[in-house]
Amino acid sequence: MSPVIKRGGDKFTLPSKYLLFILTIICTGMIIVTFNTDAFSPTVNSAIGIVVVPFQKGITTAGTFFKNTADNLASIRALQSENESLKAKVEELTTENTNLEQDKYELTQLRELYNLDSQYSDYDKIGARIISKDSGNWYHSFVIDKGSDEGLAIDMNVIAGGGLVGRITDVGPDWAKVQTIIADNSSVSGTVLSASENLIATGDLELYNEGQISFSKLVDDADKVSVGDKVVTSNISDKYLPGILIGYISAIEEDSNNLTKSGKITPVVDFEYMDVVLVITTLKHTGE
Amino acid sequence: MRRFLFSFLSIIICFILQTTLFRYLDFGGIVPNLLIIVTSSLAFMRGDKSGIVAGLFCGILVDVFFGSYLGFYAMIFMYIGFIIGKFNKIFYPENIILPLGLIVSADFVYGFICYILLFMFRNKFNLGYYMVHVIVPEVVYTALVAVFLYPVLIRINTYLEEIEQRSAKKFV
Repeated sequence: MSPVIKRGGDKFTLPSKYLLFILTIICTGMIIVTFNTDAFSPTVNSAIGIVVVPFQKGITTAGTFFKNTADNLASIRALQSENESLKAKVEELTTENTNLEQDKYELTQLRELYNLDSQYSDYDKIGARIISKDSGNWYHSFVIDKGSDEGLAIDMNVIAGGGLVGRITDVGPDWAKVQTIIADNSSVSGTVLSASENLIATGDLELYNEGQISFSKLVDDADKVSVGDKVVTSNISDKYLPGILIGYISAIEEDSNNLTKSGKITPVVDFEYMDVVLVITTLKHTGE
Repeated sequence: MRRFLFSFLSIIICFILQTTLFRYLDFGGIVPNLLIIVTSSLAFMRGDKSGIVAGLFCGILVDVFFGSYLGFYAMIFMYIGFIIGKFNKIFYPENIILPLGLIVSADFVYGFICYILLFMFRNKFNLGYYMVHVIVPEVVYTALVAVFLYPVLIRINTYLEEIEQRSAKKFV
């Protein structure tokens, strides 16, 4: 009798260490294959998506409903007292509004200057709901409830609240995986608007609790870039469309090589309380 | 067959809960690792082979939805299932301290492997930060959930075993 395959009763049984060995080889093979190509993803994605996604959609809808109901009940009392103070504030705001009206005029002019506004609204967008978030605590990706059936494809940009959220990295028939810009394994090429200098914005788990992302490789000899400057996606990025707002610079420091600068950016999107996002269905053409 | 169905369902349910419900119940952005609890429990109750299969399945789920490379988490979960399955020899349904200890250490090892493979290899050496902010909170939260989840799993498992023994007796 072979030592590898023991005969247990009528059927063959495989000792667990050999099973482990075989499966390890299969896993390693799959890692190597998926590292270089994406051969498996369409079939596996749709097969598993059919089983799991409907439940995730249901639970998320129910969860949002309960959360909203609980929030409503808790907030009624708070609203009454808030109402008083708000009335007082209305007067204050009316005067402020007049000032803002003037600012708005200025803003429109500035937008025209940067030609941002037209670029944003030119893109076709699809709204989607977040149905589940990353199972681990290391990276920050999430799954949305629309997929290739709605015309979504890998590398499409995702925005929410006027700022960049991330891009689609995986897509199934009715779901898509979005990698956020705050994830530790993501990098975005950005431009500082005031100085038109390029930088690389990278998600960082160490800065995640502060709600910030880090940036590096900013070339700024003339010290034109300062805290509070706007950072948008750059023209040279090969995945992200140009001119999408990433956030504002919150800290800046010189690197030890005296050539480049690095620091932190506060993203405009609140990643903690995000449940609806917009997917831009225009893909960036890199001319490849 | 019943047991297979039970394992399959418990893994699917835990995966769904972990990615939806527990995302609302997180403490400082940390979610408990239900999949580690299920893998460890199944491995501990059934032995190393079940552990391997359960771990592989859990890992594949994570890989497909959130992993970058298919097979990466599958391999980690599979080895955890295998090692915990070796403790099946000293398994008693009444004992709860040992399995909880195993789940806690499994989650710690899982976090540590993730740190080494995903972060240390990218020149992120601040182990202390990741330890305090990710690994240890996750272990504590997971242990807390395991205190409630493990007895449920063990009760269903004992129940299923009784049914199987009864039907086996009928045939004799």
